[in-house]
Amino acid sequence: MVLVLAIGDLHIPHRAPDLPAKFKSMLVPGKIQHILCTGNLCIKEVHDYLKSLSPDLHITRGEYDEDVRYPENKTLSIGQFKLGLCHGHQIVPWGDLDSLAMLQRQLDIDILVTGHTHQFKAYKHEGGVIINPGSATGAYSSITYDVNPSFVLMDIDGLRVVVYVYELIDGEVKVDKIDFKKTATTQSAH
Amino acid sequence: MNSSPVDASASDASSMPQKRFSNLRSVRWRIDLGVLPSSPPASIDDIRRVTADTRRRYANLRRRLLIDHHSPKYGKASPDLTVDNPLSQNPDSTWGRFFSYAELGKMIDQDLSRLYPEHSGYFHTPICQALLRRILLLWCLQHPEYGYRQGMHELLAPLVYVLHFDLDHLTQVQKLYEDFFSDEFDKISFPEGDFLSSHRIRRVKNWESGIEIENNLHKITNDHSRDELDPDTREMLLLSDSYGAEGELGVILSERFMEHDAYFMFENLMFGDQGVVSMASFFSPVAGSNSNLPPVIEASSALYYLLSIVDSSLHSHLVELEVEPQYFALRWLRVLFGREFCLDDLLVIWDELFYSSNSRYLDNDVEFNFEVLCSPRGAFIAALAVSMLLYVRSLLLATETATTCLQRLLSFPQNPDMKKLIEQAKSLQVLALESNILSSSCQTYSNKNQLTICRGYSLPSASALPKTSLNVIADRYWEEQWRVLHKDEELRKQSNGHLSSSGIMKKILTKRLSFSRTNSEPFEGNNAHALSSVRRRLFDDSSEVIEAAKDHVKSECNESPVISNNLNVGKGFPEELADQRTSNCMVEETFLSGHNALVVSTPTSPHDIGNDHENESEKSSITSNSFLGDNDEETISMEESCSQNKQDEESTNMEEPCCQNLDKQLAQDAEATSSGDVDSIPEQIAAPKDQKPFAGKFQWLWRFGRGSKEENQESKRSQNAGHIQKDGFDISQCDGTYASCGINKRIEVGDKKVMDTIRNLGQSMLEHIQVIETVFQQDKSKFDPLDNLSNNILGGKGQGTAIAALKELRKISSLLREM
Repeated sequence: MVLVLAIGDLHIPHRAPDLPAKFKSMLVPGKIQHILCTGNLCIKEVHDYLKSLSPDLHITRGEYDEDVRYPENKTLSIGQFKLGLCHGHQIVPWGDLDSLAMLQRQLDIDILVTGHTHQFKAYKHEGGVIINPGSATGAYSSITYDVNPSFVLMDIDGLRVVVYVYELIDGEVKVDKIDFKKTATTQSAH
Repeated sequence: MNSSPVDASASDASSMPQKRFSNLRSVRWRIDLGVLPSSPPASIDDIRRVTADTRRRYANLRRRLLIDHHSPKYGKASPDLTVDNPLSQNPDSTWGRFFSYAELGKMIDQDLSRLYPEHSGYFHTPICQALLRRILLLWCLQHPEYGYRQGMHELLAPLVYVLHFDLDHLTQVQKLYEDFFSDEFDKISFPEGDFLSSHRIRRVKNWESGIEIENNLHKITNDHSRDELDPDTREMLLLSDSYGAEGELGVILSERFMEHDAYFMFENLMFGDQGVVSMASFFSPVAGSNSNLPPVIEASSALYYLLSIVDSSLHSHLVELEVEPQYFALRWLRVLFGREFCLDDLLVIWDELFYSSNSRYLDNDVEFNFEVLCSPRGAFIAALAVSMLLYVRSLLLATETATTCLQRLLSFPQNPDMKKLIEQAKSLQVLALESNILSSSCQTYSNKNQLTICRGYSLPSASALPKTSLNVIADRYWEEQWRVLHKDEELRKQSNGHLSSSGIMKKILTKRLSFSRTNSEPFEGNNAHALSSVRRRLFDDSSEVIEAAKDHVKSECNESPVISNNLNVGKGFPEELADQRTSNCMVEETFLSGHNALVVSTPTSPHDIGNDHENESEKSSITSNSFLGDNDEETISMEESCSQNKQDEESTNMEEPCCQNLDKQLAQDAEATSSGDVDSIPEQIAAPKDQKPFAGKFQWLWRFGRGSKEENQESKRSQNAGHIQKDGFDISQCDGTYASCGINKRIEVGDKKVMDTIRNLGQSMLEHIQVIETVFQQDKSKFDPLDNLSNNILGGKGQGTAIAALKELRKISSLLREM
C-alpha cells in the first residue's frame, strides 16, 4: 500500500497563487510515501511545501523552474514497479503518445509520469502506463483550453497499481480510478 | 522453569483439592479466565468444542478486520470514489480506517519492541512480535472505546508465554512417547527383514539420537496401549489429539491456534468475564459507576484502606509522606504486577490470581466500600499489593521523603520469597473481602464504628489522607488518656466545682473533640472541586463517624478521662487549627464537627431526612424545657433555634443532628447538672456567674475556633457553591443558636466577660453573614451537577429559607452589636 503522489505544473507564483484549498486540505503529511513532481513549481517555497508532505520527493526540471539543479529525467523503483519522471517540454510534439512511449522505452520503465500539457492523461501502452497529472493549480497553458486543476495518486500494491485521479471540476473534487496490473514477467525491451 | 508448575500443583494439593490441569498453565488459565468451561464435569470433549468455537470466532474477527478492509475492490461493486480514495478525510472510508489501523500499529510496535528484553529470545522473534501485534491490534479495533494503552502488551505477553511454554512441554512429552503421538506409520519399522534385523536398525537409529536402548525396546514391544500412560500424559494426549472432538480445531494445545487462544485469554482478562475486576477499566480514565473515581484510583485507595486495617503505622507513614497509592499502584495494578516480578514469579502469582474467581460475591443491595474488592480476584490483587508493601515495610518506614519512598516501591526487590508473599496475600484476601462489606449486621458496636469510620474515609478526593483520622481515633485516643486525666484534675481545681465535672467536661469535651477531629484530618484536597459528591459523602460519613466515635467515647470509657482527653486535645489544637492549611473538606469538617460535637447518642444514618428529626428535636426541646426549668427565654431561644433549624433544614443530616444535638445536648446537660449551667457550648446555655473562669477559657478557645472558621470561610469562598451553601446553612444555624444564647446571656448575665463574648459573637456573626451573602450572590448560578444535595439546597425552597435565616441573623447581630 505505497502511496505515490504525481503532481506538477503549479506555476506558483507566476500563473497561480496557490493550490486550490480543497486540494490543500486533502494533502496532509503522513499518508503519502513518495512524491513525483513533473516540474514548473516554480519557486523554492513550493518545493518546501511538497517536502513537508513527504520526505521522499523527486522533481524534474520544468522550463520555468527557478532552481536549475533539478535533473531532466529521473527513474526510481517502488515495489515491483519502475517509475520514470520527466517534465515533458523536451518531448516534441508535446503530449504525443508515441513520443512519450519512446521515452518510456528509453528509460526502461513501467510507469512514466510527464507533464507540461496541463491536462490529465493516462494511457495504458505497451505493457506500461503513461500518466500526465495535469496542473495542480489549473495554471494557464498555451496549448490547452479550460485547464482544470488535477493531480494523481498512485497506490502501488505488489503487482497492482491503482491510479486515483483528483480533478477539481466546478469547485468540486472528482475522483476517478484506473487499475493497472503488471504482468509478472515483462520482457525488457532491449 | 519446570519446577514452578510443580510447586503450584504441590501446594495446591496440600491446601485444596488438586486443580485440574495444574501442570498445564495455559489450560488452567483458560479455564480460570472463563475461556474454557470450568464446571467440573466438563469433559475433554466439551472443552475441545468450546475451544473450537472460540477459535472460529477469532478467525472471523481477524478476517473481517484485518484482511477484508484492505481490498474493497474484491468486495464492493462500485465504491464511491469521493469517499473511498486514499486522501479522503472521511474516517469511514476504507482508507481512513486503513490509516488509523496503521497508526495503532505503530503505537503497538513501539511498545512491543520494548517488551521483556530479558526474554527477547522468545518475545522478539518476528513471529511472536507479529502475533502479539495482531492480537493487540484486533482487540483495540474491536474495542475502540479503550484504544491501545501502554501496558496492555505486558498483560498479553505472559498469556502468550504460557501457551508457548505448554506447547514446548507438549513437544517434549511427544518426543518421549513418540509412538502414542506419532501419526507416521511409515517411520515405524516395517519389518522388512525379520524382527531382529529391524530391531537392530532401530537400535542404530536410536544410538544416534541418544536414546536409551531400554526405552527403545519398550517402544518396540509397546502395543500403543494408552492405559499404560500416566494420567498426565494421557490427558496431554487427549488434549492434543487431532482426532478428538472438532478435529484439529479442537486440539487444545495447538501451536497453529496460539493466536486465537491468546486473543480470548486476553479478552477475558481485560473484561473480567463479566466479573468485577476488568483490567480494561483500569486503563480507562473514565470514572466508575460506583464511585466517581477512575477504577484504578479506586483500587489504589482500596489497597490503602486494606493496608490501614492491617498495618496502620505503615499506612500512616506513607500518608504522612504524601505518597498517594496510585503513584505506585498504577503500575502494579495495570499490568498486574508484571513489572515487579520476573516472568517466572509472575506466572506463579497469576496462577493464584486467576484461580480466585472474579464473580461478585455480594448481593446487589449490600453496600460495599470498594468495587474492586467485591470479588475474590480483586481482593487478591489488593491483598497482594498490601503484602508486597509489608514485605518492604522496614525499607519504607526508613524513608524520609516521598521520592525515596516511591523509589523503593517502584524497584521491588529482585527475588522475593514468593511463597511467603502469596500466603500472606491469601490471608489478607479474606480480610479484604470481609472488610469490604458495609452492612448494618455487624456484630459489635466497635466493629461498626470501625467500618463506618473506614467508610467515611474510603473514597478520598484523589487523596488517601482521610485515613489518618482512623489512625487518630485508634491510636492517639488512648495515648492521650493519661495526659487528659491530669488536665482534668487541673480544671477541676480551677472550677468552682459545684458543677459535676462530668457535665462540664462533657461539654468541653464535645467542643474540643470537634476541634480535635478536624485537626486530625489534614485534608489536602487541592483539587477538591472535582468530587463534591464524594465530599458530601465524606461529610455524611464523617458526621456519622464523629457521632459514632462520640458514642463510642461515651459508652466505653469513663467520662472524666474522656472529657479531659478532649479538653486537652482541644486546647492544643485550636491554635494549630488556625494555622493549618485549609481545604474544602477540612473546612466542612470544622463546621460539621462543630455541630456534631453536640451529638449525644444515636448515630444518624446518612440519609435520614427531615421530619423524624424535626419531631425529635421538638420533643427534645420540650423535654429540655421541662428539664431546664430556666428562663423562658431559654426555651424561646431553643424554639427559635429549632424553628430556624427547621427552616434551614433541607435534607442534610448535618443540620438535623445539629438541631437535634443542640436539643439533646441541652437535655443532657440539664440531666447532668444540678443547676443550669455551663457554657461549654457557651452559646447554648446561659452561663451562670460562677462559670466566669470557664467562660473566659472557653471564650479564648472558642474565639480561636471562630478565627479559624473565618479563615476557612475565606478559603471556602473560592470553592464549590453547593458546599458553601451547605456550610452557610450550618453557619446560619450555628449562628442562630449562638445568637439565641447570646440573647440569653444578655438577659441573664451582667458579667463583663460574657458581654465581651457576646460582642465578639455579634461581630463574627456579622462577618459570617457577609460572607454568606457574597457567596450567595457570587455562586447563585454555580451548580455542581453531580451534587444532588447542593441542588436540593439551592432549590427555591432552600434559597428562600436561607435568605430568611440570613435576615434573622442580621437582626440578631445588630442587636448584639448595640450592646
